[in-house]
Amino acid sequence: MAEPKSFVTTQVGSWPRSQAMLKALRGYQKKTISRKAFNAVAEEEIRCTVILQELAGLDVVVDGEHRRESFYAFITDKVAGTQLMSLAEMLDFVEDKSEFEEMLRTMDMPASAVKNPTCIGRLSRREPLALEDLYFLRTLTNKPVKITLPGPYLLTRSMWVGALTRTAYRDPREMADDIVRILREELIDLRDAGCDFVQFDEPVLTEVVLSEECGRRTFM
Amino acid sequence: MHVCRGNWSKQEEVLLTGDYARLLPALERMQVDQFVLEYATPRAGDIEVVGQALSDRELGLGVVNPRTDTVEPVAAIVAKAEQALAFYRPDQLFLNTDCGFGCFASRSVNVEKIAFRKLCAIVEAAQVLRAKYG
Repeated sequence: MAEPKSFVTTQVGSWPRSQAMLKALRGYQKKTISRKAFNAVAEEEIRCTVILQELAGLDVVVDGEHRRESFYAFITDKVAGTQLMSLAEMLDFVEDKSEFEEMLRTMDMPASAVKNPTCIGRLSRREPLALEDLYFLRTLTNKPVKITLPGPYLLTRSMWVGALTRTAYRDPREMADDIVRILREELIDLRDAGCDFVQFDEPVLTEVVLSEECGRRTFM
Repeated sequence: MHVCRGNWSKQEEVLLTGDYARLLPALERMQVDQFVLEYATPRAGDIEVVGQALSDRELGLGVVNPRTDTVEPVAAIVAKAEQALAFYRPDQLFLNTDCGFGCFASRSVNVEKIAFRKLCAIVEAAQVLRAKYG
């Protein structure tokens, strides 16, 4: 089905996770359930999310990112040289602990709710980041589909944790070259597989220019 | 490419505020087809800022706030899109949510029922706009 020529409707990516999905995600991360079992739960959730978007009449559909810990931390599942860490775990490695804790409090962000994709070694794609998501989504709908990927700036900002990353890279710039290469490879794979729309998420770009003005910041 | 001002809290006052003006030099240099931007919250500023500088690309116009429990009226979504029509052709204009509904797995900013109704409102607005502007 072709998308309309004007006012194309879509959404930006993630969908609320069900209790079953959250339980499976935690189980998979703790290795108490298999990848196969995890995928079975995720695929059921994705199926429901696609049906809801079709029911609503959306033109370009997404998979709801059910498999993902978050829109960027999920790459630890796919990229070698990374480790998923809660912000609480990262506390040991940040330079000013009390400032970091205070920031999380004022930002209404419990340290346990957010996990960071920390770089702890040389980065390379262990498997495609989202190509499998595209293939599965294609089995569920004839509508055009959108795949979301974290942007290079967001990843560079969040993955660099000096005390841990300096063992692999001299500076954030050197690490960023590998991040860009990985994202570029993924984009080409998605294009070649016929993906209709690839969206790069760069939420922290705003922080660079706005945090000084409005006196707030983000934790990513 | 999607830019927003944070999507982890339902407390609007902890999220970033400001328009896209200071990002324009960076956005202008990016070789992307579409900017997917927040506009459902007043914290995002006026459409004019981006409309005047980036109307050679498509705009994914954020028309519903994923973090609120009330569904935006269709008329309000249509009005928002009409503001953008001052700078963009209908075929350049996408209608979307401001951000996802659950960026952080264990901290969804909404529930499925409301998310679904917000999508329905976007679709209904698009139908009104297509009837009016083609």
